[in-house]
Amino acid sequence: MDIALRSAVIFVFIYVLMRIVGRRELSSLEPFDLILLVVLGDSVQQAVTQDDYSVTGAVIVVATIALLQVSVSYLNFKVPRLRPILDGEPIVIVQDGKVIEGNARRERLTLDDIAEAARLQQIASLQDVQWAVLETSGELSFIEKQKN
Amino acid sequence: MFESCRAHSAVPGRRTASRAESTGVAEIPDSIVLRRHRDLQGRHKDVWVRRGLLTLVAVVPILGLFNVFGQRPGKPTVATSAARLQLYAPSRARGGLLYEARFRITARQDIKKAILVLDPGWVEGQQMNTVEPSPLGQASRDGQLEFTLGHIPQGQSFLLFTQFQVNPTNVAWRRPANVELFDGTKHLLTLKHHLTIYP
Repeated sequence: MDIALRSAVIFVFIYVLMRIVGRRELSSLEPFDLILLVVLGDSVQQAVTQDDYSVTGAVIVVATIALLQVSVSYLNFKVPRLRPILDGEPIVIVQDGKVIEGNARRERLTLDDIAEAARLQQIASLQDVQWAVLETSGELSFIEKQKN
Repeated sequence: MFESCRAHSAVPGRRTASRAESTGVAEIPDSIVLRRHRDLQGRHKDVWVRRGLLTLVAVVPILGLFNVFGQRPGKPTVATSAARLQLYAPSRARGGLLYEARFRITARQDIKKAILVLDPGWVEGQQMNTVEPSPLGQASRDGQLEFTLGHIPQGQSFLLFTQFQVNPTNVAWRRPANVELFDGTKHLLTLKHHLTIYP
């Protein structure tokens, strides 16, 4: 039973951690982040399975995590009030070519970060951006101004 | 109509958008509510909740640095006119960890037959991998572990090393792990010790 409890505790901890570290950290996956991800995965695995090398143990862990993930997803779908807590909410970062500084600062986004994200979407200048929204996934989505 | 769209058209921020639309500027993206997603109305406390939780997360490693979760060894000592016993062992550990417990017995008087008696808490949910030097005898004393060490001349010390590994499933809160020293049947001293095992 303790292996299921350990899985649940680690799931909740990681879920909360991912919600509080901020989207700035979630949006990029640079080489260092990738290495960090592997290290994190390894540390978490030790805590969850410990010295249990059995297939049964692995099935319990995977099933627990899958079940919790589906439960969170279901709650997110069924209870709209929980969505801001479970999933977060988008934030408008740029409107009509102007960066909303308070919102960008809140998410620890610099002008360079926003410009870089715009370039990745083939937008040369933020002046061409009507809306830039930091999505709950941590990605910046851009809507360009209408040309006419 | 979707709820987000209803909310969208109900907020004052939408008025701005209507003006924008009439001047040909791109519409507000669907499900974006300016009052909430741009002006962050009702969301100002969110950042403080996030910072508070992040502080809580930061507290964990700080507590770890201060040995709250083990396994830095302590040196509890008890001395009587007959002997002095010093234990070098952590009182806090975590599941799966390896650690050493060292018992130093200094004879202030001649101890003819030194016997070290450990509470069962020493081996409850953890493995005793090594005892060096090997005791002359091992036995159970009413559920306690008894190690016969033999003669310790006055003024000399006997150093007993033991290596432990905590079972991963072991969890304990201040489990008694006292140590007693006897000379044959004569009780010389008791060292109070306890073990806390974090999951």
